Amino acid sequence: MDQVADQTVTLENWDELTDDQLDVLERKIAAKYMRIVPWGAVTWGIGNTLLWLSLWPLVLLDILPLWLGFIIATFNCTLAYLPSHEAQHSIIAGKGKPLRWLNELVGHVSLIPFSAPFRVMRATHMAHHKHTNDPELDVDYDTTARNGWHFLYKSILRRQPGSKSKEAYPAALARTGQSHLMLDILIVNIFFLAVLFGMAWTGHAIEAALLWWLPKNISLVYIEHYLSWMPHHPGKETSRYRDTRAFKSKLGNIISMGMQYHIIHHLFPRIPLSQHPAVYREMKPILQRKGCDLGAL
Amino acid sequence: MKQVIKILFSPTAFAVGFLWPLVAQTLIATNTIGTGWQVWMIAALIVTPFAASAQLRGSWIWIR
Repeated sequence: MDQVADQTVTLENWDELTDDQLDVLERKIAAKYMRIVPWGAVTWGIGNTLLWLSLWPLVLLDILPLWLGFIIATFNCTLAYLPSHEAQHSIIAGKGKPLRWLNELVGHVSLIPFSAPFRVMRATHMAHHKHTNDPELDVDYDTTARNGWHFLYKSILRRQPGSKSKEAYPAALARTGQSHLMLDILIVNIFFLAVLFGMAWTGHAIEAALLWWLPKNISLVYIEHYLSWMPHHPGKETSRYRDTRAFKSKLGNIISMGMQYHIIHHLFPRIPLSQHPAVYREMKPILQRKGCDLGAL
Repeated sequence: MKQVIKILFSPTAFAVGFLWPLVAQTLIATNTIGTGWQVWMIAALIVTPFAASAQLRGSWIWIR
C-alpha cells in the first residue's frame, strides 16, 4: 500500500489497483492541495465588498450612472458568496491558526452585498454537506429540479413570502442546537430592510432597488443555479461519490464560478476553489473508477 | 416583540416601506403620470393587489 501511495499519480496501471489503494491515492492527491491559503479569495471577498460599498456614494453623487452601478452591483452580489464559502470551510485558516481572524473577517465582510449572516451560512452549509440530497435534512434540497426552466420556476416560488423552503435554515439550526444564530438572521435582515425603507422614503428608492434589492435577487437565482442545482442534479443519490457531479458548463468554468469541479469540493471541502481544476485532472482516473458522474468534463 | 418582528417582515410592511415609494418614484422618474399626490395614489393602486396577494395568499404573484 505504501508503495502505491509513493508512486506518481500519472501511473498507467490504474485498473490493477484495489479500492483501498485508490482511496490512499485519492487522499494523497488531496493532501497536496490542502493548507494553501487562498489569497485570491481573500482579496476577492474584501475587494468585492469595498467596490460595492463605493457604488453608493458614486451613484448618489451622480459620479457614476445608475445603470452602470446596477450592472456592477449585480456582479458584486453574485461574487459575494464564494469567498465566504471558503471561510465557511475554514480554508483560509482553521481554528487556532494565526490567520483565523482573517478567515472570519472574509466570511463576514464578503457576504455584506449578499446581506446574509456568515455564521448561519456556515452552520447550514455544514448541514448541506452532511446530508447532501437528503429530502428532509439537506437545507438546499429545494433547489432540485427537472431542468433549467423548472429550476427557475421553483426559484421564483422560493422568493414568495409563504414559501416552505424558508423554513429549512431555521430547522437545520434547531436540529444542530444553534438556534441562537437566528439572532444573526434577524440583525442582518433588519439592517437590509432599514436601508431599503430609509432610502425609499428619502427619495432614493430606485437607487436602493438597483444597487441592492434587485442585484441581490438576481444573484440569488444565479448562485442557486450554479452552486446548488447544477452540481447536485438530479439530486437523487446520497453516497460520497454520487451525491455531487462534475459537468461541462456551456458558459465555461469562470462564469459557472468554478462549479464544474464541485465534486472535488464535496469530496475534500478544505481544498481551495482555485485548486479544484488541478485536483480534478489529477484525480479523474480515480473518480472514474469510483463510479462518479463526470459528465463531459 | 415577536409580533413586532412579524409585522416588520410582513409583505405589507415591505410594500409600504419599499415597493410603494419605489413605484411612485419610478413613475415620476419616467414622467409617466407627472408629479403630485396623484402619482402616489396610482402607485398605491399598483402595489396594493400584489401586497394583498402576498399578505393573504403568501405569494406576490398569486402562484405558489
